[in-house]
Amino acid sequence: MRAALERRLGNPTWRAFVLLVVIVALLAVADQGRGRFLNANTAFSVLQQFATIGPVALALGLTMIIGEYDISVGGMLGLAGCVAVLVGNSDPLLGVVAALAVGMASGAIQGAIMNWLGLSSLGVTLGGLLTLSGLSYVLTGNTSIGFDNMDIAMLMNQPFLGFVSVRNAAAIAVFVVAAVVFARTRIGRDVVATGSERRAAMVAGVPVARIVVGVFMMSGMLTALAGALLSFSLAAASPIALADALVPATAAAIIGGVSLSGGKGTPVGIAGGVLVLCVLRSGLIAIGVAPYVHYVVTGGVLFTVALLDAPDLRRRRLALSRALGRDAAAMVE
Amino acid sequence: MSARDLGSATAAPPSGAAPLGFRLPPRTGRLVLWSVRTMAVVVLAAFALTTPGFLTAGSLLPMLNTMSFVGCVAVGMTFITLSGNIMSFSLGATLSATTIVFVAGGLSLGVWGGLAAAFAFSMALSGAQGWLIGYFRANPIIVTMAALALITGLATYFTGGKGLYPRAGQLDFLKEGRIGPVPLPLAAFLVTVALGQFILSFTRFGRHLYMVGSNRRAAEAAGIEGWRTVSLAYVAAGLCTAISAVLMAARYSSGDMSQGAGYEYQAISAVLVGGTAIQGGEGSAVRTLFGALVISVVEGLLVLNGFNTQMQYFLIGVIVLGVIMLQTVGGRR
Repeated sequence: MRAALERRLGNPTWRAFVLLVVIVALLAVADQGRGRFLNANTAFSVLQQFATIGPVALALGLTMIIGEYDISVGGMLGLAGCVAVLVGNSDPLLGVVAALAVGMASGAIQGAIMNWLGLSSLGVTLGGLLTLSGLSYVLTGNTSIGFDNMDIAMLMNQPFLGFVSVRNAAAIAVFVVAAVVFARTRIGRDVVATGSERRAAMVAGVPVARIVVGVFMMSGMLTALAGALLSFSLAAASPIALADALVPATAAAIIGGVSLSGGKGTPVGIAGGVLVLCVLRSGLIAIGVAPYVHYVVTGGVLFTVALLDAPDLRRRRLALSRALGRDAAAMVE
Repeated sequence: MSARDLGSATAAPPSGAAPLGFRLPPRTGRLVLWSVRTMAVVVLAAFALTTPGFLTAGSLLPMLNTMSFVGCVAVGMTFITLSGNIMSFSLGATLSATTIVFVAGGLSLGVWGGLAAAFAFSMALSGAQGWLIGYFRANPIIVTMAALALITGLATYFTGGKGLYPRAGQLDFLKEGRIGPVPLPLAAFLVTVALGQFILSFTRFGRHLYMVGSNRRAAEAAGIEGWRTVSLAYVAAGLCTAISAVLMAARYSSGDMSQGAGYEYQAISAVLVGGTAIQGGEGSAVRTLFGALVISVVEGLLVLNGFNTQMQYFLIGVIVLGVIMLQTVGGRR
């Protein structure tokens, strides 16, 4: 029993959920039983945020699992929203399909460039980010464009069954599919293998080049889905999105047990990481804490993880404590 | 490559184990690179000559002046890119926060006190991130993103989300100052480039920066303390950012968090278009000057030829993507 518990805690996927339980408990205590936090409203607001950040975090997380990093999600989120609204004003479903197609194409092109030229994902996707957000400026003519189909816009934000909406149901469905594919199919194992030791994976017959292109196509499509549904629900799309989604999505993936060095992480863990961030944000607002606090908390968490993951931490900590000890000894003398 | 190596500037080719991808023989590659560069300059010059009203002092001086604000940040970013740490996501937020510190300092301590506070603040803020990245080899992407979130949150806490305004006329000498015919921001930018290039070419820190940036492990084996060089690179970035912050606070007569929004992306665009290698170790401040110049000439020509602003964003993105792809052709690997 105890051994099982320890194994679970040592597993980064479960750590996100343990953190989630702790945060829910802390917020419930901080609420002092006034019922502002533990109610269907907060749950709904958490899930609506999950619908925005979740797919982007999954997109970014998958690229991090294969040891790459897709900066272009920041541009894709905005571009997909613009495409979805522009096309979707006549036919909303076609709008979503068009956005997904743009996402897939952008991922395929960037992945192909990386494979063809042997380039790092950082450089290529940085260029991708600038190009994609430039494209959304061109498409919208540098203004905010409205989405006229109010029925669809309302539907996106309509809670049914208490806290489920079309938008967050779509995000949850995407995570369920990703989790099943990841755990039960060969693709999942190939993705992890590509990220943990690419040369060995290639020798073992993993189609590494295809996995890279595939993951970047998934990344584009997931981000496009989030962007399309988000601008439907806002009934507007504007080109100004850039990197607003990049920081929370990165934070969520990292809290969810994805390692920047690749080969580690699962969709379930990423979902946990996203929930931690969303509960924190909605919960703090619900109990009346100023909204800037979640920025500080997100920043703090990112700093902590960056430091804990730093390859030289142990060596430097020893050196530092020795130096400090020497100073202290010198002072005593 | 594993993302742990992303920031550590190892000489391993990106996407390490994947096939190296398409490569030209070095001599052909350099030839291609130089012909593309020459062609780009010739095309730009031809457009500049045939565009009526472009080559006049009334059009060029304001264009160069506007370029200076991003330009200073770009020179700062050059140090970070050269050190092998790709880019900082927090320089824009650092710029914004520094405008607030400058205006607040100016109100309470006078202009010179404000200047000192602004420079100290920006250098310390950026330097602290550099220390974490250099000393512990923490991941530069995560650390600077964490800083972005923290700066945004704390600035909102201290200012309540509002801007700060200097006393009427207090900063006019910075806003309207000229050295001969040259407006002060442009003069400051040129001095920043000259100083940056001097540091890179003629100081020990500069030489170490190239060595650490191209191969940190080899540089450390040769007795260079890599963490000092990396930390100093971030301090230099903070210094350059402070120059831009002071000028922007004077230009818009305010200190607020919107001042530097998106500047990190504009800055890295100028760095990369100038031809500084994204993997570090190769590049210069003068190249960044040319990068900033090319971008603003392209922008200016587009405007004068009747293209709208949004076209500029898109084209700059495409240019950056193209430059990154070109690097593999002529780059020393």
